[in-house]
Amino acid sequence: MITVSEKCIGCSICAKTCPFGAITVMDKKAIISEACVLCGACVQVCPVKAITIERKAVSADLSSFRDVWVFAECEGEKLKGVALELTTKARELADALNQKVCAVLLGTNVKSNAEMLGRYGADVVYVAEHKMLEPYTTDGYAPVIVGLISKYKPNIMLFPATKVGRDLAPRVAASLGLGLTADCTGLSIKDGLLLQTRPAFGGNVMADILCPNTRPQMATVRPNVFKKVENPRKAEVVEVAVDLKEHTIRTVIKEIVKTATPGMKKIDEADIIVSGGRGIGSKEGFKLLEELAELLGGAVGASRVAVDLGWIPKSAQVGQSGITVAPKLYIACGISGTIQHLVGMKDSKVIIAINKDPEAPIFNVADYGIVGDYQKVVPLLIEELKRAMKK
Amino acid sequence: MEFVVLVKQVPDTTEVKVDPKTGTLIRDGVPSILNPFDQFALEEALRLREKIKDRIPVNVTVISMGPPQAKTAIMKCLALGADKGILLSDRTFAGADTWATSLTLAEAVKKLGKFDIVFCGQQAIDGDTAQVGPEVAQLLGIPQVTYVDSILGFENNKITVRSLTDDGYRVVEVKLPMLLTCSTPSSFEPSNPSMAAILKANKKPFEIWTAETLGGDKSKFGLSGSPTQVSRVYSPPVRGKGVVYKENIEEGIKKVVEALMDKKVI
Amino acid sequence: MDYTFTEEQEMIRQSVREFAERKIAPIALKMEETKEIPMDIVKGMAELGIIAPTASPDYGGVGFDAVTCTIVAEELARADPTGSIPVFYLIQASWGHVLNKYGTHECKSEVFPRVTKGDWFLGIATTESDAGSDLGSTRTRITPTEKGYVVNGEKMYISGVREAYNRGGGHVTIAKQTPELGTRGMTLFYLPLQVKGITPTYVDDLGREGISTGGFTIDNVEIPKHYLIGEENKGFYIVHEGYEFARGLISVICASAGLKSLENGMNYIKQRKCFGTPIGKFEGIQFKLAEHYTKLSMLKDMAYKAMHTFDLEQKGKAKRFEVSKAIAMAKLFAQEWACAAIDDVMQWQGAFGYTKECPDQCAWRAVRSFGWAEGSKEVMRIIVGRELLGREFIPYR
Repeated sequence: MITVSEKCIGCSICAKTCPFGAITVMDKKAIISEACVLCGACVQVCPVKAITIERKAVSADLSSFRDVWVFAECEGEKLKGVALELTTKARELADALNQKVCAVLLGTNVKSNAEMLGRYGADVVYVAEHKMLEPYTTDGYAPVIVGLISKYKPNIMLFPATKVGRDLAPRVAASLGLGLTADCTGLSIKDGLLLQTRPAFGGNVMADILCPNTRPQMATVRPNVFKKVENPRKAEVVEVAVDLKEHTIRTVIKEIVKTATPGMKKIDEADIIVSGGRGIGSKEGFKLLEELAELLGGAVGASRVAVDLGWIPKSAQVGQSGITVAPKLYIACGISGTIQHLVGMKDSKVIIAINKDPEAPIFNVADYGIVGDYQKVVPLLIEELKRAMKK
Repeated sequence: MEFVVLVKQVPDTTEVKVDPKTGTLIRDGVPSILNPFDQFALEEALRLREKIKDRIPVNVTVISMGPPQAKTAIMKCLALGADKGILLSDRTFAGADTWATSLTLAEAVKKLGKFDIVFCGQQAIDGDTAQVGPEVAQLLGIPQVTYVDSILGFENNKITVRSLTDDGYRVVEVKLPMLLTCSTPSSFEPSNPSMAAILKANKKPFEIWTAETLGGDKSKFGLSGSPTQVSRVYSPPVRGKGVVYKENIEEGIKKVVEALMDKKVI
Repeated sequence: MDYTFTEEQEMIRQSVREFAERKIAPIALKMEETKEIPMDIVKGMAELGIIAPTASPDYGGVGFDAVTCTIVAEELARADPTGSIPVFYLIQASWGHVLNKYGTHECKSEVFPRVTKGDWFLGIATTESDAGSDLGSTRTRITPTEKGYVVNGEKMYISGVREAYNRGGGHVTIAKQTPELGTRGMTLFYLPLQVKGITPTYVDDLGREGISTGGFTIDNVEIPKHYLIGEENKGFYIVHEGYEFARGLISVICASAGLKSLENGMNYIKQRKCFGTPIGKFEGIQFKLAEHYTKLSMLKDMAYKAMHTFDLEQKGKAKRFEVSKAIAMAKLFAQEWACAAIDDVMQWQGAFGYTKECPDQCAWRAVRSFGWAEGSKEVMRIIVGRELLGREFIPYR
């Protein structure tokens, strides 16, 4: 329920703000028409706080909320890969519920992406195009999404856990008083509810989260967590008319800068570390490791011996007298695995060991071990990775 | 001018270990710290105050929600230079998810009356949700800029900030009042409160606010006000015994790369 | 009985710990080579307010009591296995206390603002080649003149000589003014080192390389009246107050360095396998760990208890002899127990324990010095014996 109180001074800022053209001002008072979708944009801008929206706790009829929705993030006119990952997952959830998959496209000239979304399982694509929806702004996107949710009542809504998704989703959740689960690594249906799995405490534990009493059930998902799989169909395109004014968007974007890929990362910040030890044999040998690291967007580390021999700076030293690291992937090349080294890297999520000596202790902590000379193994690995990453 | 900084006391997650047998968190001996992102947010607020102090006097108020022990985090903020601390502490607040937390914090900010900039860390290191900042902004009805790693300018009631995006950054200008969530740049070195500042902090105003102070229906707070429910907590699967390829190396490499793709490590 | 620290003290511990872990620990072992505490660390300590924190706020200090100073010492010792920074800290905290309590306004106004900013060093110079704990054998003389005093003599095995001689500052110094009165004729005063007549000399220590050790000859050095600390001929009594302060800090530094070393050891023995078992499972190792940990925890508690007694005495709530005894007891085993623990941790780590890369060997060398520093462990036994049996049982009487 939306109400305009006596406080209204008829300034008509709300009318100019409403993305759905649902407000007119008559006799110095705002009048709200049928077109209102309860997006809340007017509440945000009213200078005298005259407009309030009462949202009923949606416990009465949860079943009226249907379908699995995806916010299909675009970069400019192009769909982001994560949108297809989410659509694939949404398809799986929707099939389990016997409901539809709907994607939401916002921006300018983004409609053409609907076909691609259909290919990955979207039944319906809602498209809102407006010049004020590019580039992304919180104030531009949030009311549109809130409006769509209020109107169509989805059961589940997924956002990517990108910078945009993490900016937008909580804003939407707070407008509607909904729960929101961040950074899910697993999503499934359990007893008709969305079971959301996410890491907590710095990844030390996993938590299963349910959202039993509010709809839609909302979650954000990190890119690269789910695979995209085709499940083609022709998506029905529903165009949503929105009207955004400049002053609706309270943030003024002065400049957008895309920074070039940064250079070599520091090992304590890197997600992936390629590390070398005595077995690398020379300063030149590290060039090969650098190549592998660059391919993976990682950093180059080293054991103490390699540092002492002057092959690589001290800042790269992993271990007891160096830096302790816990990356997603640690590739140890020509490192035997002294306890002093192991102490510094044993908490890595995945460890690959490459060493000539099959008895090297590094193999005891490695998830994958390859017995062989790094000079032979690493080029093969690079080749194989390049092939796999192209897919 | 009034700056509000929202902070959280968190367990130092780098020190949290999981019992490999039972899968439960070993929290004993894990120190509680001021969420590092929040410390950066506070220091940004203090730096801005310092920069504009000749033109505009600024009051910095720190608000945190948590158990009575969370006072420590607020005291640290006072020692670092904040002027006033408010701890929202009540059994009713316990078990709050991000929505209920945001609601409680937003009500506290409203109760303060005037506020010009609300500073938050981008996320807390124990939950990593990054939701409270935007949710509070929505509840306060003010614009937000997230992932701000530096404040570039401040004049005529407008703030200009640098906000990180997935592939770079944006320069954004906003009129006050507004909320920003801060991303700690890697060059940031957190300050340690000096001995003298610690001694002074104890003399600064500190208040505890309860559900009563905030008023209204208590069921909107804490667990009962939380739409999400944690149904199970468990340890991530432990590393199995590794596979070592000795003979057919090419085949081995292929398998390893496949596994890495499968696990989404790369 | 309330056996807890105040909220303020907990914050102080936290702040010092963060500083020490972030700034000191990464460069600690480097000091073994550079043989000095990096100036940015000194400045950082100054900004934090932990150089001579016993100085009152009027002179740039923060007026810490003994217990709070002990907390700071404990945290510094955790982070710096070389012991250099703990020594740098403990000397200035202890003799800062003495100067603050007994020094003149002029002297404090001149010295403290510079010391607390890290520009000057404030040391202690009582020891001579033939006079250590046996202060009665001191040969350095102080003679009143019209304008002040003139000092002649030589001091040896003094910490921070290079620091004060090169950067400024000086040492709280003891000399005989009325030799016929023995220890009752000794005077304590502040002696700047950057003056004509001071010639420094240096010795190469076994450890704690970041702070210099040496001595200086004092050749007709004139000092003004206001450098007098306390009253003339009362130096022997005042100097013990400083020593007790320092001994308490040393006890906690020993305990803390030992406990930190045990932490390193625990990490190691949980990982290192021998005959297919982590060596921490062997009783020969586990029992030693338990014993060392217990002893060092006792030591730490005794140090805090002793410093608490010190604070009570300052407020007139405890007797002098209680302080002397409590402090002597806390220091009596400090070096031996800490060295024994560290020695075992080195042993557990095998050959790595004997390399210069192993922080524990640094800690061992640093802690070993505390068997002598600020009163030898033998003298601690004499003090406890004296307090138990009475002054008539003092062996040298």
